[in-house]
Amino acid sequence: MALLIVLALAAPLYAGDPGNIDPFKRLQPPSAEMWFGSDNLGRDVFARTIFGARISLMVGLLSAACAAVVGLLIGVIAGYSRGFDNVVMRIMDGLMSIPTILLAIALISLTGPGIGILIVAIAIPETPAVARLVRSVVLGVRERPYVEAALCGGARLPKVLWRHILPSTVPALMVQSATVCASAILTEAGLSFLGVGVPPEIPSWGNMIASSRLYLAIAPMTIFAPGICLAVTVLAVNLLGDGLRDLFDPRAKRRR
Amino acid sequence: MAAGTALSFPSMLRAQTSPEDARTVRMAKEDLRIFDPVASTANITQEHGLAIYDTLFALDSKLTPQPQMIGKWGVSDDKKTYTFELRDGLGWHDGGFVTAADCVASIRRWGQVDAGGQLILARAKDISKKDDKTFTIALKEPLGLLPDILASASGQFLFIMREQDANRPATEQVTANIGSGPFRFNAALAKPGSSVTYDRNEKYVPRKEAPSAYAGGKIAKVDRVIWNNIADQQTAFAALQAGEIDFFQVPADLYPAVESDPNLDLQVVNKSGNVAFVRMNCLQKPFDNIKARQAILNLIDQEAMLRAMYGDPKYIRTVTSMFGNDTPASNDENTAWFKKGGDPEKAKQLFKEAGYAGEKVVILQPTDWASVSNGCQVLASALRNIGVNAELAPSDWGGVATRRSNKGPVEDGGWSMFLSDWPEFAMGDPISNVLLAANGEKAWYGWPKNDEYEALRAKWANVATSEERKALARKMQRIWWDFAGFVLIGQSVGPIAHRKTLTGLLDTPGGYLAMWNMQKASA
Amino acid sequence: MAGYILRRIVSTIAVMAMVGIFVFLLLRLAPGDPAAMIAGRSATAQMIAGIRDQLGLNDPMPVQFIRWVRDMLSGDFGTSIFARRPVLDLISQRLEPTVSLSILTMMLSVSVGVSFGIVAAWRTGGPVDRLLTAFSALGYSVPVFVIGYFLIYFFAIRMHWLPVQGYVPIASGLVPWFMHLILPTLALGLGFSAFIARVTRASMLEVLSEDYVRTAAAKGASSYSILFHHALKNAGVPILTVIGISFAYLIGGVVLTETVFNIPGIGRLVVDAINNRDYPIIQSVLILTSGLYVLINLAVDLAYTLIDPRIRY
Repeated sequence: MALLIVLALAAPLYAGDPGNIDPFKRLQPPSAEMWFGSDNLGRDVFARTIFGARISLMVGLLSAACAAVVGLLIGVIAGYSRGFDNVVMRIMDGLMSIPTILLAIALISLTGPGIGILIVAIAIPETPAVARLVRSVVLGVRERPYVEAALCGGARLPKVLWRHILPSTVPALMVQSATVCASAILTEAGLSFLGVGVPPEIPSWGNMIASSRLYLAIAPMTIFAPGICLAVTVLAVNLLGDGLRDLFDPRAKRRR
Repeated sequence: MAAGTALSFPSMLRAQTSPEDARTVRMAKEDLRIFDPVASTANITQEHGLAIYDTLFALDSKLTPQPQMIGKWGVSDDKKTYTFELRDGLGWHDGGFVTAADCVASIRRWGQVDAGGQLILARAKDISKKDDKTFTIALKEPLGLLPDILASASGQFLFIMREQDANRPATEQVTANIGSGPFRFNAALAKPGSSVTYDRNEKYVPRKEAPSAYAGGKIAKVDRVIWNNIADQQTAFAALQAGEIDFFQVPADLYPAVESDPNLDLQVVNKSGNVAFVRMNCLQKPFDNIKARQAILNLIDQEAMLRAMYGDPKYIRTVTSMFGNDTPASNDENTAWFKKGGDPEKAKQLFKEAGYAGEKVVILQPTDWASVSNGCQVLASALRNIGVNAELAPSDWGGVATRRSNKGPVEDGGWSMFLSDWPEFAMGDPISNVLLAANGEKAWYGWPKNDEYEALRAKWANVATSEERKALARKMQRIWWDFAGFVLIGQSVGPIAHRKTLTGLLDTPGGYLAMWNMQKASA
Repeated sequence: MAGYILRRIVSTIAVMAMVGIFVFLLLRLAPGDPAAMIAGRSATAQMIAGIRDQLGLNDPMPVQFIRWVRDMLSGDFGTSIFARRPVLDLISQRLEPTVSLSILTMMLSVSVGVSFGIVAAWRTGGPVDRLLTAFSALGYSVPVFVIGYFLIYFFAIRMHWLPVQGYVPIASGLVPWFMHLILPTLALGLGFSAFIARVTRASMLEVLSEDYVRTAAAKGASSYSILFHHALKNAGVPILTVIGISFAYLIGGVVLTETVFNIPGIGRLVVDAINNRDYPIIQSVLILTSGLYVLINLAVDLAYTLIDPRIRY
């Protein structure tokens, strides 16, 4: 995972220009000049795969971060205040009940495809799940003796939230974020397939796979290169999530 | 066990492919969203019209208008009054007879939207029925092209509908789907967004002449045609390979795969193909300046654009005439701008002369139209290479369609350039083709304005001989390329792919699918 | 219990009203115009303006909104701008394929997922567990449409066993109906069963480490009895919850699967409607799916009481 991020960040150092168009060199097989061959506009598939990593990872990580931060805020507040809880959780229910992909397509039709709106569109439907999770943790922690003790001892509420409640939500939040990150990368691929993902000019693994799907027979690298990267990354993120769960869940460790 | 399953599966499938299949043609076609050929210019809607409606005149393969529903016709000595008489045997799918009143109403409705029809309505003193089978068009001044316009396929076809349908406003969709054409619309089997079904009209009386493009005898030789809307091209191609469909407008990059499949054929049914072009917003910076538009004319590397958009070099051609490569009006006047590979240096110079100061140039990019979307990317990259601040505005086609009607500057949601295409043969028709108008804000998106050119265009309908018309075309083109009302990208001729069992597909100008005459051999 | 159900239903209506307002605003704010889509690529601006007027799209937004709410309340979901047919007709035309696909996928995923998950949890680190890891890696990390293409290529083009695409209504015969759904179900079900298997495994592991299970094992209860009597019963709640929640995800997968296999279902209907800006269809489908989602989750909550009698409302 870390290796992937380093490779993606260092892309400009070693990969060619992913936007360099040459229609006379379309769908070329791999060569010394272009390691993975070229795509349908004669662009370097290797360069695009490497640069695509930045976009796909960015979409994944930022969506996860957005969902986590917003979900955390809502969850903590909902978990703590009864009146707010009912209203907010009903809104969350509403959002959750709209299928992810349909909500994303509708949101993207607002502004046209773009990375910003894509991240928002993926994060919004993921937020309720995070909020619910955080809320349930907060509800559980709230009744614990040490929290009640802190409150009785005259500690101010924000301080209690910050000191005692927030830390306990971290493990669940991190596990959930890993899941959101992985599914965001996949959702981006799905949206690209439907023609509403990252704009075609900017390489992402999803739109590379989607725009190359006719070339499976003629130029397989155009689809395999980003496809394998995507699969490996999503797998890595999922394993990271599992690892986190094992780390934070002492009972799971006990069984080992 | 495995072998047993392998054997039993195909036989199970064969059980459902019954004999009626040999008389049924299945086609992968795009979604028929709108059924009314007057309310929509979409190709698929015009093709739907060709299946169920009939036309008064029709173009043959030499682009000559031939009577289709008309039996006898004539023009008065002063060339101002045309009399048309319907031929015998014309009946609506609901059982009624086609009358002159239906024709008059249909002409009036079509005349509200089609550019050629608008010209007829503007020139007509009176259009009225004489008796059940006869009607006349009385003109204020002679219009030699009248039959050509009635037969035209370069805008919207003049389909004859029942009077009660044709009396609706042109903007209100007709939903009855009842025509007098060689196929009937099967309303019971229509699944909007998914598939539509046409049945052979047993009562249709075809003309005696042999079929030639849209003219001649329209004999339906299959019982049923089903149009399937298969959204994914890869899936549509797989279905063609597996024999689940018979016909598919295959994307260029799959031509080799079609050629290597012994059951499939590539066939060019539209020899003139399409011309792709760039339209610039002549009302806003930087393209309100003629020099900036000329810069684009010099910048474009037609071959590179065509390769990026359509792939296979076998089916693409560069174009220098505003009237296309092979229309009667095509010529080589004032085409010195054309250079193999384009001329970026000259373009840079022209942008400088235009006083270009880094304003944002917004290119509308429809991401759901692959060829044009690719072309936009090549154009943007070429512009950036000469220091133009080009920005792609990706959206679906719906977004492009809305944004291109905004005449304002890019800061207010306007645009600078967009790409589209048009049937090549229609480029030779400055009357019906809105693309060839330069009447400013009344013109098509981009709104080019040139009064001198417009004065010449107004003469088009009045010149009598083809020589005079050719001379006029040269004059028009000289001016057009100076003010660059559009910039051409080139011509593409996309063959369609079909199973070898499907034969008799007609070659039609514009490539609108004609479903009569095709037949299917039993596999 | 009855009071609980009543409260849930009231909140369901609140949720749906919210979804309705949200979707309505979202759509009207999006650029794009059904009139331009109707008129086609080469249409003139005058023609488009005429169609807009005809459709009543030039009316102020509040007027359009009130008209829509009034119609909805009287049970009229509107007429498709494009097909000129009642939206409910169109939806019912598309319902069967989507429901068939969803039910088959659910059946496949729950049976495969739960049994894999149980075995994997029972023998952690064993061959089934490893296989599950590999299987969920695949199902989790490969986009549905890529799986779909490979299934089509192998089973339909190479082996000619199954049809490539399309849908046959169940009324035209059970066999062709099923044949057309095998590949889509596999494509969609792979990721989904992996998901359910992982959840099952995790909750089973959790329960298996509880003291009472250990006690039962120490007392010599058979592994069958431990797995099914003690563990699965308690692990059932989280598994059911996940199935309820993942309904929305399933619909997302359905959209892609319907596209790849050209199944004329609800998913395609909405995607096309969004592209066309066919507002009445989008509004109605989203409202109906969210209503369905809420109902399914209500049903899941009620099912808890059956599995685990300790839960009372």
